[in-house]
Amino acid sequence: MAVCRKMMTGDRKAAIVLAVVAVIYLSFSYRIPAFALAVMDADALPIGLGWLLLVLAVLLFFFGKDSPRTSAAPVTRKDWCIIGAVVGFTLLYVLLLEWVGYVLVTVPFLIGVTGLLGYRRWVVNTAVAVGFTGVTYYLFNYLLNIYLPQGPLPF
Amino acid sequence: METLDSILYGLQVALSPENLLFVFIGVLAGTVIGMLPGLGPISAIAIMIPLSYGMDPASALIMMAGVYYGAVFGGSTSSILLNAPGVAGTVATSFDGYPLAQQGKAGKALAVAAICSFVGGTVGVVALMLIAPGLAQFAVTFGPPEYFALMLLGLTAIASLSEGSVIKAFIAAVVGLMFATVGIDAQTGTQRFTFGTPELMEGIDFLIVALGVFALAEVGNLILTRKRSTIDSAHKIGSLKVTKAEAKEMAGPVGRQSVMGFLIGVLPGAGATIASFLGYITEKRLAKDSSQFGKGAVKGVAAPETANNAACTGSFVPLLTLGIPGSGTTAVMLGALLVLGVQPGPLMLTERPDVFWGVVTSMYMGNLFLLVLNLPLIPFIARVLLIPKPMLITLVILFCLIGVYGVSFSTFDLYLLIVFGIVGFIMRRFGFPAAPLILAFILGGMMEQSLRQSLTLSSGNWTIFAERPITLTLLLLGALSLTWPLVKKWIHSRHQSNGGIAS
Repeated sequence: MAVCRKMMTGDRKAAIVLAVVAVIYLSFSYRIPAFALAVMDADALPIGLGWLLLVLAVLLFFFGKDSPRTSAAPVTRKDWCIIGAVVGFTLLYVLLLEWVGYVLVTVPFLIGVTGLLGYRRWVVNTAVAVGFTGVTYYLFNYLLNIYLPQGPLPF
Repeated sequence: METLDSILYGLQVALSPENLLFVFIGVLAGTVIGMLPGLGPISAIAIMIPLSYGMDPASALIMMAGVYYGAVFGGSTSSILLNAPGVAGTVATSFDGYPLAQQGKAGKALAVAAICSFVGGTVGVVALMLIAPGLAQFAVTFGPPEYFALMLLGLTAIASLSEGSVIKAFIAAVVGLMFATVGIDAQTGTQRFTFGTPELMEGIDFLIVALGVFALAEVGNLILTRKRSTIDSAHKIGSLKVTKAEAKEMAGPVGRQSVMGFLIGVLPGAGATIASFLGYITEKRLAKDSSQFGKGAVKGVAAPETANNAACTGSFVPLLTLGIPGSGTTAVMLGALLVLGVQPGPLMLTERPDVFWGVVTSMYMGNLFLLVLNLPLIPFIARVLLIPKPMLITLVILFCLIGVYGVSFSTFDLYLLIVFGIVGFIMRRFGFPAAPLILAFILGGMMEQSLRQSLTLSSGNWTIFAERPITLTLLLLGALSLTWPLVKKWIHSRHQSNGGIAS
């Protein structure tokens, strides 16, 4: 078991995932409708790419050196949790953006994520959040004419 | 005479008050963003793209070019002050720049970097002016087979020359091409990988891919390194004065690396990173006393700084004259230009001389701004490094989100952005380079179109690629670049075994 784990380097794990991706991609590629008159049909490139990825995945499995993760600093479970939380906050931000509006969703996002990442000077944090949100909202909506969601606010 | 008229016209465009302002904004924003470790020129340009929508294409490209060389210079500032290169192209600068900073001579290192960047960039612009029109004239004769071969060469070159594993670089390029196949096929109208989603019918916007795999992916890395200390020596810059003896010492490397850096920049795939390393190694080998290199040699800062800025300018040659980006950064610029309705290429010289000559001549101004801005203001600009990382991370996430939303007004694209951010982060963790992916993604559609046009011309006969001399040459060069890593390995092993026998 330990030998097996030792043999399963980062590159080999990546190669297996890529091979699976290649197979799924190929299965969808072969389902692309074909036209008799086309010199090169719409499915030709995807099929070629799918096979190429499969070949490269095999090459990576056998000839790839170990993943650089071994040399990089180890990532703790806490770090992964923080990354997960930031992704979660970002998804929530996207979900609420059009309903609640840019200003009302951005200020708490900025304060929340900055605090989550360890910056606890709340006064500075709030001032930056309000200032940044106000400036970008004004810049986009009034100077660049790129309208960010207004939400229930009157401006 | 015609070229002189064009240059004068370009100067007219570049010297307009608004374009001068855009150069300044670009250079300043680029310097600031490039200084932040992790955020390189691609992220800097991608972040600035939403601001360019609605702008005149000439002004937009002028600003983005400013962001590009500003970011490369900004990268050298963090290399010197923090030993944390903001950009891969400035890693070599840190070899001697950081030791100089540790000796309390950060100001001198920064001044040398600013002067050399200015010279390298300016020589690059002159060379660009001389080469570009001739190359564009030659490229007018290119047909679909030549374009296909050229794009293939660009792609194989950037994958072969990427840092790290070549297999991984090729995988990244293939994945980029795969993403490019999403949407309605332009020739047959067939839907590919849209899964019935209307938002995917027009394909994936390049900004989503660029911001996702570069800027947002970097956020993950920034989160992991957020506790590492920020600059603590920002105020210990020291004197900016460069002595006469030092200037004399710099002259040789600056002269050589201006030319060498530019030529490396022109080559597809070989950008600022390779130019700066080659520049550093060359000067170390040429030096009478190479023992000073790595300990704070002025030449060790001058050579890579000259080379990387000259290479940045050189990389505009294939973009502006052939419409083919030779690097990830110029690929992002190409994407932005296409969105603005400008197709760079040989016809741009006649169809959009304002964009072509405006951008080229604005580079003079950009380099000048870079010098003026960086010499006196660097101690203040360096304070950007004092921004707490948690705040920086959150602001980068927001910039990416607003940037994409401001283009498409669709939350679907924002979800897609998050997905690409995760893909980019995983790629980094496993050592897959992102530049081949973005280049392949941008070239994918054009490559497929050229391939199909070529095969239509030949009624499906693949020998069309062997019958045309230029196409054949380009394909052979592509094959050479594919085998280059193996050749390099062989030379290295032979060299080692010879060395072993000798010793």
